[in-house]
Amino acid sequence: MSPWSIALRNVTRNPRRSVLTGCVVTFGFCAFALAGGFMSQSLEGLRDGTIRGGIGHLQFADPAAFAEGAATTAGGGLTDAPGIAAILAADPAVAEVLPRLEFTGLVAAGDRSVPFLGTGLDPAAEARVMDAPRLVVEGAWLGARSDRALVLGTGLAAALSVRVGDTVTLMTTTRDGTLNAVDAPVAGLARVPFRELNDRYLATTLDLAADLLANRDGASKIVVVLKDGRGAPAALPRLLGSLAAGGHAIAGWTWIDLAPFYRQVRTLYLGIFGFMGALLVVMVLLASANTMMMAVGERVREIGTLRALGTRARFIRRLFLAEGLVLGIGGCLAGALLSLVVRFALNHSGIVLPPPPGGVEGSVLHVRIYAAAYGAGALAMILTLAAASWLPARRATRLRIVEALAHV
Amino acid sequence: MPPGAVPILSGRNLGRTYTLGATQVRALAGVDIEIGAGDFLALQGPSGSGKTTLINLLGLLDVPDEGEVVLDGRPVAALDEESLADMRRDRLGFVFQTFSLVPVLTAAENVAWPMSLRGLRESEARTRARALLERVGLGARADARPDRLSGGERQRVAIARALANEPRVVLADEPTANLDSVTASEILDLMRALNEERGVAFVVATHDPRVVAGARRSATLRDGRLVPAA
Repeated sequence: MSPWSIALRNVTRNPRRSVLTGCVVTFGFCAFALAGGFMSQSLEGLRDGTIRGGIGHLQFADPAAFAEGAATTAGGGLTDAPGIAAILAADPAVAEVLPRLEFTGLVAAGDRSVPFLGTGLDPAAEARVMDAPRLVVEGAWLGARSDRALVLGTGLAAALSVRVGDTVTLMTTTRDGTLNAVDAPVAGLARVPFRELNDRYLATTLDLAADLLANRDGASKIVVVLKDGRGAPAALPRLLGSLAAGGHAIAGWTWIDLAPFYRQVRTLYLGIFGFMGALLVVMVLLASANTMMMAVGERVREIGTLRALGTRARFIRRLFLAEGLVLGIGGCLAGALLSLVVRFALNHSGIVLPPPPGGVEGSVLHVRIYAAAYGAGALAMILTLAAASWLPARRATRLRIVEALAHV
Repeated sequence: MPPGAVPILSGRNLGRTYTLGATQVRALAGVDIEIGAGDFLALQGPSGSGKTTLINLLGLLDVPDEGEVVLDGRPVAALDEESLADMRRDRLGFVFQTFSLVPVLTAAENVAWPMSLRGLRESEARTRARALLERVGLGARADARPDRLSGGERQRVAIARALANEPRVVLADEPTANLDSVTASEILDLMRALNEERGVAFVVATHDPRVVAGARRSATLRDGRLVPAA
């Protein structure tokens, strides 16, 4: 007879105890799968938010722009932005190329003037792949690239006491150091999730920014959004190679290089969930080890009989191991079903999570099915049950046969 | 054993001492015993006289402190755990007082178990197990689990299991102690019949005078020593 068939019979021999152990595994697996799914959803949300928040998948700029100690990428470090953009756009992996001209200065309305952090951009292209247009809470996002209009952060607008339709004056210095100013109407107000940025945020079209900075073909950096973000590490050297072949000696970075906040949060999450997972494994181990020890303890005499008949000790250990695995696998299957039910209930509960640090809006709870969490949960539970069954069986098979036969 | 016959199982100067807490209990001392082919030996003696200890030593379930056990002419002292397990499986059979059947296996599966350990194909082991159960009068209960069998039926299954691999010797420790007198007589008759028709030797530790009366020969243990025949 196969150890599996005997294990199945032994599992049903004491149904109450087996159900109890199975429940421990079921809830352990369920907690593992749901926590993993929630962590995955949170990290994925943060990653997508980071990328769509403006960073994109790749960025290209003057090598000095992101060098250690560089305060900002403001200015027009790239002198042939259309040429660079054309090379980047020709790559089949690239979905969108977004030249940006960053600048700082003062924005004035009436007798008030406030410093701003401005970006000149291609409004239509940004609207296709970035979240910035969706931050507009009043008025509208910018129209064509040639429009001469502005979107201000609500904090900046409040500091200036301006509304949609009002005209403000932008003042900055051009590349050659000359003071320049333009008037432009406020087309919309955006609520930027980070308060400090909301108080300084100003977006305008590339053409207006180029006029203000007297830098027609320049760009501070060029952001690239890929069709598949997972290909970013592979795409970067390929695109840099194409640019170098086109005579552009510029530098590039992947989004993760430019997102220290994401990296910190990921490390924190992995630490928290890793600790919780370890606790879960220990609790399941203790609970299941207790019941498995009882199961082995009750069958010491049977173990003695089997050994007297010539059964090898390792075969007996395998029988108990199979029993633990049957319970582990059964518990995981039940846990998977339970997690799907709980996930369905949570995802339809409408629970809104608080906003992340620096954010202004929470998100609706959505626990996704994260295959790796299910796999890790099953592995952790099955290995735990294997250890919980094998260790007491090992101890029992080490007893002398006559002791085992005389065991009461 | 008849003079000049070659023993298949023997114990020479066997001694065994157990430690119970701080006390040393000498369970067996200086026992010489020989079992020949087709023998039927009743080991009698009061409780604590060393019968079970001697059965355990002869059955390779325990190791003597003194002396040696020889099975089929081969001293077993030097054998490792796995070789001992193989020898028990292939050459010895066991019948215990409490039947000791595996509760999750049917009667046929219990009997087939030692054959499976020996590597017999499952279908063949089942066929042979059923034939053995037929022989002990339990053909109709082959698919019943032990909890559905009476004490006498369980002991018959245990006897069939002991014969599964056609052993040279069956060691039975108080096989009738948990049975009523009628059933005990039936079990004794069955062991005697199997002894005669198959030539397998039986060593039976017992308190039961009927078993002693039905045996070919008997030996008496007292305080761990064999008492010379009067």
